[in-house]
Amino acid sequence: MTAGKRILGAAVGALLMSSVSAYAETIKVGIIGPFSGPFALQGKNFQAGVEAYMALNGKSVKGHDIEVIYRDLPAANPAQSRALAQELVVKEKVQYLGGVYFTPDAMAITPLLAQANTPLVIFNAATSAIMNTSPLVVRTSFTTAQTTHPLGKIAFDEGVKKAITVVSDYGPGVDAENAFKKAFEAAGGQVTESIRMPMNTTDFSPIMQRVRDSGATGLFTFLPSGPPTLGFVKAFNETGLKQAGIKFYAPGDLTQESDLPALGAAAEGLKTSFHYAVSHDSPENKKFVEAATKAIGGADQLSFPSVGAYDGMHVIYKMIEATDGKQDAKKAVDAVKGLSWTSPRGPVRIEADTRHITQNIYLREVAKGADGKYINKEIQTFADQKDPGMPTQ
Amino acid sequence: MQMTAQAGTVSAAPRAKRLWWRDVVGIALIAACGAAGYWLFPDNLALLTRIVAVALLVLSIDLIVGYCGVATLGQAALFGAGAYAAGIACVNGVTEPMTLIAIGAVAGAVAGLVMGAIMLRAHGLAQLVLSIAIVQLFHEAANKASAYTGGSDGLAGLMVSPLFGIFEFDLWGKTAYLMGLALLLLVFIALKFVVASPFGMLCRGIKQDPLRIRAMGAFVFPVLLKMFVISGAVAGMGGALAAISTQVVGLDSVSFELSANALVMLVLGGLGTLYGALIGTVIFMGFEHMVSAINPFHWMTMVGALLIAVVIAAPGGLSSLFERFSASRGGKA
Repeated sequence: MTAGKRILGAAVGALLMSSVSAYAETIKVGIIGPFSGPFALQGKNFQAGVEAYMALNGKSVKGHDIEVIYRDLPAANPAQSRALAQELVVKEKVQYLGGVYFTPDAMAITPLLAQANTPLVIFNAATSAIMNTSPLVVRTSFTTAQTTHPLGKIAFDEGVKKAITVVSDYGPGVDAENAFKKAFEAAGGQVTESIRMPMNTTDFSPIMQRVRDSGATGLFTFLPSGPPTLGFVKAFNETGLKQAGIKFYAPGDLTQESDLPALGAAAEGLKTSFHYAVSHDSPENKKFVEAATKAIGGADQLSFPSVGAYDGMHVIYKMIEATDGKQDAKKAVDAVKGLSWTSPRGPVRIEADTRHITQNIYLREVAKGADGKYINKEIQTFADQKDPGMPTQ
Repeated sequence: MQMTAQAGTVSAAPRAKRLWWRDVVGIALIAACGAAGYWLFPDNLALLTRIVAVALLVLSIDLIVGYCGVATLGQAALFGAGAYAAGIACVNGVTEPMTLIAIGAVAGAVAGLVMGAIMLRAHGLAQLVLSIAIVQLFHEAANKASAYTGGSDGLAGLMVSPLFGIFEFDLWGKTAYLMGLALLLLVFIALKFVVASPFGMLCRGIKQDPLRIRAMGAFVFPVLLKMFVISGAVAGMGGALAAISTQVVGLDSVSFELSANALVMLVLGGLGTLYGALIGTVIFMGFEHMVSAINPFHWMTMVGALLIAVVIAAPGGLSSLFERFSASRGGKA
């Protein structure tokens, strides 16, 4: 920009804005996520979502330039999370915090928000209870209970009367088990057995034997995405449970798009429920996928954290618009309560009371797409799903 | 034996006096560095507090590895025991910070007793494997007992009351840092006495030649066990400090990764001097923080390069460079 243009711009700006409130200032947004280590791909998806949003919607709001500062938190580590958030607020003077992949990391940041006068927009961390720890948290991802809930009814409607749950023995696994059990039993089914596997289980054939012995006709499962899923699905096929007609249900973390090339044919036909599929058919999603693919550098690396980040940036932009660049966390959060818009995943809304996102949950089936690559094909929509985990918390 | 001991004290006397002065200078330097950190980086106090907490863990490893020659990759079990004990106590209404530190120390000491009693049954590689097994068991126990520990979601909601009823643990972290620094100094001074005591000497003797110590008529097992308990108390205080300043305790505080990282810091700084533990922690975590802020995506390669460089250039750790420097100066004088 030349000096002349800049002066012209300033003059026009001064003419347009009679109020003294806004003289353009760079607004900093701090994003904390796993950008290195075993979860680096999820962090890269955060970055892709953020960059896609800024590419499509501009890098400034009301004349305020937006600067994004990334900070790396490779694994769940609340002490480091707090230190990073503190530094971003105190030293870098960020007005907004975003990102956060793991629940304990979010829990470590929320006590700081009131004093920091900074809202936190969570792009992923999926435990219901986080929202209760501070009124300045907004979440644009999902909760495990939210994505799991519709499966209970789906399974029952498909004729499964007795089901067995098999989950990894850690927080999200237990959340998923409880959510499925609740929904399935409310629909009229019966969970005959609940198995919790140790986190590092690699040999799943004894578990498949127990599934077979239980006499259940449906299997609900939750594992951390990646290699364990691969082993689990392979065991499910190879021990003949698939051929025996036992139906397989899981939340969509298991078949996230970045894992599908590795899962391959083994995953074909698996039914999962989730809030977002990269293959979602809408003009908004087409635009988003194009921009995000450019940012991440490869279509098959794109998965759900990117859309959480994309919508998170939308919420942050709306907050900046409402506060006109002034740091006022309460006003910013109030401004997005009840906000609704069309996200790449479909219609969404920030609930005024819980500050969590209400959205469609889709039932999907792993199938071959038009180009021969595996996708999560959406086959049924459950509109307007709130977080069923909230009221009980 | 009495004669040798006497001869030892006679010859050691002037040297001990010189070392005594060196320690006073060293401790003053640590205090000065700590204060300098407070004034120079007022915006990074949460990071500095984290460094202090981990420094306590690394010191505790130095006691076992550097002074007793017992290799361990499971020290985070003791750190985590302190963190969870303080965290659980805090959630249940004990909010006075000094009391929480004491609770952490006791929990760490008890965990150290258990860990030592098991680990000291084995030797060498088997001992190392046992230490890993123990930290994994602690980790799984903390994960399973989610009603008390919050499991993988972490134990949140720690509301620590102000220190001495005045100084609050807030966003800027001044209280947490100064309390941590004071704690670190006190622990360091106490440990200097411990390692210089006859008990400390005995530990070093065991490290060099356990058979000979046994032949002298000393019992090896109880001496090492005692060091495990002391080390546990130090690690537990570090854990409690981390819990107080973070207000959340996560499963990472009882992880193998933390144990291994802390051991790397110790090796980086140098074994068996106590100073090495501090130097290693500050350099490692400071460097890590710096490069990860500059490039959050590829910083790990830089840390790897630093480690390789140090191991090649100064196999005895960074603190050995100072030793070598002062020795060469002493030689010339």
